[in-house]
Amino acid sequence: VFKRSSTVLGVLTALGMILSACGTPAAPAVAPAEPQTVIQTKIVLVTAIPQPAEKKLEIFHWWTAPGEREAADAMFAALKAAYPDITLVENPVPGGGGTEHRVVLKARITAGIPPDTFQTLGGAELKDYVDSGVLQPLDDFYATTGYGSKIPKPLLSAVTIDGHPYSVPLNMHLENILYYNQKLFDSLNLAAPAGYDDLIAACKAIKAAKPDMTCLAVGSKDNWSDVFVLDTIMMELGGPAYYVKFFKGEVDVANDPIFKQSLEKFAALQQYSNMRDHSSLTWDQAVGAVGAGQAAMTMMGTWAIGAFVKGSNWQPGVDFGAVNYPTKPERILLFHPDTYGCTVGAPDPAECQEWLNVVASPELQIPTDVTQGGLFARTDIDPKEFPDPIRQEMQDYVSKNPDKLIMDQHGTILPNPAQVEYRVIISTFFASAKPNVADAIQATADMMTTYNVKAGAAWYKWP
Amino acid sequence: VIGIKALRRQKTKRLRDSVLEFLVFTLPLVVFLVILYGTLAWNFYVSTANWVSTAPDYTFTGLKWYQYLFHQNRFWVDVQNNLKWLILGVLPTVVAAIFLAYLLELAPFPGIESYVRTLILYPVAMSFVVTGTIWSWLYQPEKGVFNTILASLGVQSPFTYTNDPATATYWLVLIFVWQYLGFAVIIIQSSFRTAELQEMVEAANVEGASKPRILFSVIIPNIRSGILVLVSLLLINSLKVFDIVWIVTRGGPGIATDVLATNMIVTAYDQRLASAGAAIGVIIFLIAFILVIPYTIYALRRWFD
Repeated sequence: VFKRSSTVLGVLTALGMILSACGTPAAPAVAPAEPQTVIQTKIVLVTAIPQPAEKKLEIFHWWTAPGEREAADAMFAALKAAYPDITLVENPVPGGGGTEHRVVLKARITAGIPPDTFQTLGGAELKDYVDSGVLQPLDDFYATTGYGSKIPKPLLSAVTIDGHPYSVPLNMHLENILYYNQKLFDSLNLAAPAGYDDLIAACKAIKAAKPDMTCLAVGSKDNWSDVFVLDTIMMELGGPAYYVKFFKGEVDVANDPIFKQSLEKFAALQQYSNMRDHSSLTWDQAVGAVGAGQAAMTMMGTWAIGAFVKGSNWQPGVDFGAVNYPTKPERILLFHPDTYGCTVGAPDPAECQEWLNVVASPELQIPTDVTQGGLFARTDIDPKEFPDPIRQEMQDYVSKNPDKLIMDQHGTILPNPAQVEYRVIISTFFASAKPNVADAIQATADMMTTYNVKAGAAWYKWP
Repeated sequence: VIGIKALRRQKTKRLRDSVLEFLVFTLPLVVFLVILYGTLAWNFYVSTANWVSTAPDYTFTGLKWYQYLFHQNRFWVDVQNNLKWLILGVLPTVVAAIFLAYLLELAPFPGIESYVRTLILYPVAMSFVVTGTIWSWLYQPEKGVFNTILASLGVQSPFTYTNDPATATYWLVLIFVWQYLGFAVIIIQSSFRTAELQEMVEAANVEGASKPRILFSVIIPNIRSGILVLVSLLLINSLKVFDIVWIVTRGGPGIATDVLATNMIVTAYDQRLASAGAAIGVIIFLIAFILVIPYTIYALRRWFD
């Protein structure tokens, strides 16, 4: 009897487990279907109260990490100051602009109950929403406010798809910055590297003086920090026009000498990098390795300034230095913006337009960007608003040279499916004990055709 | 007359009761089935559509996304890794559990045995997110616990654990084995506790059989149903593995530790290929189905015998 009942129990448990196993995979794609009942409730609400007594605005964003949370609060304080009668419904999704945000947003949009406005990067990320018919064109907003002339032209084209602007940028994050241990560089009499050869020379000098120190810390757990490094090499070897052509799918990757050479130089950096642990470090842990004196340099975007100051208690210009890298053959800034647009079919279109007014204003951008870590989208804000000399100098350079901006690996030129695949190819290459250049080239060439990058990235115009 | 009335009242009451019973039984079942199989069917429907960006597109594309997956290198890496999980997550756990359970049975102090059992059961109560995070600290090559201990013993550790693309998956499976071992021991131990088996063991003891002999010749052949339950539970749990991989390596280095479940989330939400993500979900379901059906047939046959 015992055996028999335990068998039945076994069958039942096994069935239960398989059902729960099936439930998990089904959930993401199916989630959108569930809230459909909610639509009706919503419609009833809106028709029952034709003129809501109270103005409200629902915002979706992902700024929840320390530093970002304060920046979000600064944004909403600016909204409150400009439009005190708007009630803000905040819907933050933790997870650094990653998957979690999109899971929730996709469900809401599919169910037909979108938030009024949501945070999105420019470029391919934005284009996806535009292709889905989720965002409203903002030609009127740009025409009445003249915001297009207040921001660099490449920033405007990062939010312009097929001739229409779809969102309003509030900042610019720069990607290609080399952070280094200032005191170490001073003691070894080293200058900040301007290109690959300088970098190797500095690494050799550091290795000679401090054999236990890693020269270039990489944190590739997120799969993109290592791609940043390859970007700088491609930029130096090919120049900006090549870089743009490459990611627009207009280069014959399989027979391209520059990409091949870039990969070879990238592989040669392995011996100066933290090969034992880079794939288990996130970008901020790589920054932490520099702050802890375990590594001399790291390549990361503007957002790393805050990580140095808050995470390692290092002061810019004193403990660490930061330069755009490379500055050969010319100083190009790879960037992506955080932006907000207005959702099609959302309940509060008028409030959304008022929110965009605030997003475009210096009153929002100054406190938000200083806190969060990027540069100002507007070029008419005084760079001295930044507390650190690093961003003061970079903002100044952007204001004087707006045409030196190119889209980076986050708000990308590459369409989203290709972007994910490219990161995997490069991370696999860099993590390998014997990086295979030919395999990486073949995989990249396949990626360009599989995802039809040439057609998908044709919208991007540079210069 | 009164008798007939009472009978009729009783009849309506019985009818009302049976309707109520019927509802109590079927309503939750229907809700359960609709939610489960409805979403399952919907998932299959999405996998044959052309949903490639934020907004849905239900244009029928047949098996296009399945073909896409079969041509993808990443998909086959996932299948290999899932196979590694299935084999290495189950076999060592079961074998170790049988030995540990037997050792606990032989423990000379019965008082201590129950404490030990509670202790080794604790890991399974923890979330994979917690164990994954803790183990990623243990594994960290430069500052992690394991290599620091080795270094303090004067050994320069050759291990980089999950940072080595060639062996990373095995280190992840080890976390799974650790987490499920206590649970496995409890299941095996409970199947020792049948009166028949206890009698057999006693008889073998009286006849002077050695402890290992008792384990291999008496116990193991007689706890097959316990082992079967355990194997099927472990199979399914190791097949649907997601949390450990996502927390510790996110499928990296590169895609070295990627599994179908992590690929599904990346495909559906990072690449925004919702239909392809749904197709991976269908494939995971089919694999689970294929694994469990033989077991179910076996168990049902035993039941009817």
